[in-house]
Amino acid sequence: MDNEKIEILERALARERMARKEAENILEQKSLELYYLAQQFKEANYALESLVARKNIELEGVFKNIIDAYCVLDLYGNVLEMNSATYSLLGVSKGSKTINLLEFVAPEEKVKTQEAVMEILKSGTYQDLRVKIISRQGEFKYLHINASLILDGYGDPVAIQGIARDVTQEKIMQNELIESEDRLKLIIQNLDTGVFLEDENRVTVIGNNKLFEMFYIPHTIDTFPGNDITNGEKESKTLFLEPEKFEQRIHEIFEKKEPVIGDELRMVDGKILERNYTPFIRDGVFKGHLWSFKDVTVTKKYSASLEAQKQKFSNIIANMNLGLVEVTLDKKAVFVNNSFEALTGYSESELLGESINDLLQNTTEAKLFFNQRVDETVKDGSNSFEGQIITKQGERRDWLISSAPNYDINGIVIGSIGVVLDITDLKALQKTKEQLLTKLEQSNTELQEYAHIVSHDLKSPLRSIFALVSWLKEDNKDVFTETSLENIQLIEATLEKMELLISDVLNYSSVTSDTLEAKSVDLNLVVEDLHKILYFPDHINLRVINKLPTIQGDQTRLQQLFQNLISNAIRFIDKEKGLIEIDVEEQELYYKFSISDNGVGIEEKYFEKIFMIFQSLNEDKKSSGIGLSIVKKIVDLHKGKIWLNSEVGKGTTFYFTLVK
Amino acid sequence: MVNNLSILFIEDDVVETMKMNRTLVKLGLIHAIQEAKNGEEALRILMTKENLPDIILLDLNMPKVNGLEFLKIIKADERLRYIPTIVLTTSNNHKDLLECYEIGIAGYVLKPLKYEDYVSKMEKLLAYWSVNELIKA
Repeated sequence: MDNEKIEILERALARERMARKEAENILEQKSLELYYLAQQFKEANYALESLVARKNIELEGVFKNIIDAYCVLDLYGNVLEMNSATYSLLGVSKGSKTINLLEFVAPEEKVKTQEAVMEILKSGTYQDLRVKIISRQGEFKYLHINASLILDGYGDPVAIQGIARDVTQEKIMQNELIESEDRLKLIIQNLDTGVFLEDENRVTVIGNNKLFEMFYIPHTIDTFPGNDITNGEKESKTLFLEPEKFEQRIHEIFEKKEPVIGDELRMVDGKILERNYTPFIRDGVFKGHLWSFKDVTVTKKYSASLEAQKQKFSNIIANMNLGLVEVTLDKKAVFVNNSFEALTGYSESELLGESINDLLQNTTEAKLFFNQRVDETVKDGSNSFEGQIITKQGERRDWLISSAPNYDINGIVIGSIGVVLDITDLKALQKTKEQLLTKLEQSNTELQEYAHIVSHDLKSPLRSIFALVSWLKEDNKDVFTETSLENIQLIEATLEKMELLISDVLNYSSVTSDTLEAKSVDLNLVVEDLHKILYFPDHINLRVINKLPTIQGDQTRLQQLFQNLISNAIRFIDKEKGLIEIDVEEQELYYKFSISDNGVGIEEKYFEKIFMIFQSLNEDKKSSGIGLSIVKKIVDLHKGKIWLNSEVGKGTTFYFTLVK
Repeated sequence: MVNNLSILFIEDDVVETMKMNRTLVKLGLIHAIQEAKNGEEALRILMTKENLPDIILLDLNMPKVNGLEFLKIIKADERLRYIPTIVLTTSNNHKDLLECYEIGIAGYVLKPLKYEDYVSKMEKLLAYWSVNELIKA
């Protein structure tokens, strides 16, 4: 062995030793590192453990303190663990004995809950379970529950954990929403306006009964399907008088998508509809629209008839013979009719806006008078007055004006309306009438006077003749023959009859309403007086059967009435024992008198004639034939009637009535 | 004692005047009759104021100044108004009668148709005034 070799060996050995030493050092170092690492790990593990523990505690705290109820159940629903929210939700106190959650479920929800539990067991979770429970206190609560299954290390289910939220408030709000939707639906359903709402695709969202009724659609709000209206208008257009136009207009409206109000539609059945269209546009995007149809037939007909009435009255006003003018509070004309133009001579354009009384009057007094009357009307209400105006032509006309305040729709006086009647001619007529009456009265008086003068002038010559004849007789008593003397006597008798006639004519003409005086007249006294004045032959008796009344009349004329009838009776009695009876019967409005005699009687054919003037039935020299005419005239003037009953040879009864 | 009267007889009718005169003769009365044909003439007579009549018999219907006018005039005269005036007329017009009494008359006698009735009325009338005391002018 060479040294070299040894040396080499030795050097090799040395290197080996060195290496081993190195390795040992490394090992030692590594093991130290490992130690440190283990040390570190141990620390880390410890830290981790404590972290986990901390987290556990935190988690437990979270569960216990979260607002939502959290609980863990066994597979039969018995509570293993639950937080305080759960306690308060169920209304149980802590430390209660075993609680089974299923007990709280409302009876009608039990089946649903069972099913949910089965689902959890099957699939491991169940979300959005909504269940109604009854708390220990008997309160109803609505819960929203999410639940999952807990498995052990071998993957077998051991428990169910769940989180529940009280959604009672939500549920209430939801119910309210439903209710208000129902209400809205009810309102729409019962609206008197036919409506339907369409979405942006023209699918009907809602339509009401009124609409269906209007368009004869066999649906109700509940059965009407959401539908495309394009068919609707095609089906419905035949209901309208102008179907094409109806359809066209709908398309037009829909194209524009602008609100339309008050389109008038006339239907074949006579209905008149008013159509409104309201598009809904939100943020510039079309969202749908509302069609509404209102049946305005009655309103239309009413306003049509109103219009017709208005037209009628306008025509009447325009064409009536009465002038009509409407003035403002400051008396400026705002309306005149044709007649008013004709009455004033001014045209409408000349009248309107003018102060009417300034135009038609020319004196301050007259203007003031008319203005005051108008003011009175405005202040006190309807008024009527007469006045004179001056026409454009300068003619004075008499007007009768009826005026009334003019109100606006709020009942505030805004002026007055005058209706004018031109009474100029009437006035003239009235004046003429008055003049005529005065004249008539005058000529009546004159006639009366004339009758007196005539009777005087006629009587005077009679008197003279009488005197002269008397002297003739006196002076020639011894010369005249018997015949001559008889003739003279006849002359005298004729003169007497002539005088009686004149007196009676005068008397008859004096019986007029002018000379009639109305006083209380006791007819008993009248008859008593006559009994004394008149000549009653011994064989004639006058008897008053019932007491006579006192009536209103002319004493002289009433006396004349009785006198003429009684003296007639006396004159025509031809019996040995004459009887004149006066009687009275009271009627409602008048007295019926009768004067009867047992005289010669009158033939029926003369019943009318005897009342006519100069119709004497016999040639009695003492009768002028005027007596009964006077009687009739007096009865007439006392608003009575006269008639008679008679039998020739037996007697006559005159009846007459006098008003009470 | 019976007075003989001085009478102013106002009458336009000749026969009436004759009647009056004949009546006086027939009755044998001696009254002084002064005739006037109308009111005008009568006034002329009265205006002389000499020998005023005791009474006046007055017809109403006369030409010129008629009876009523005449009556008004003398009743307005201070002296003449005291002469009793009796109206002798045909008019039984109530209006005339009233007016006459209103102005002032001493009597109103209707002329009857019959002459005998006239005589009888005049006899009474004149007899009445004959026994009256009268203002002598």
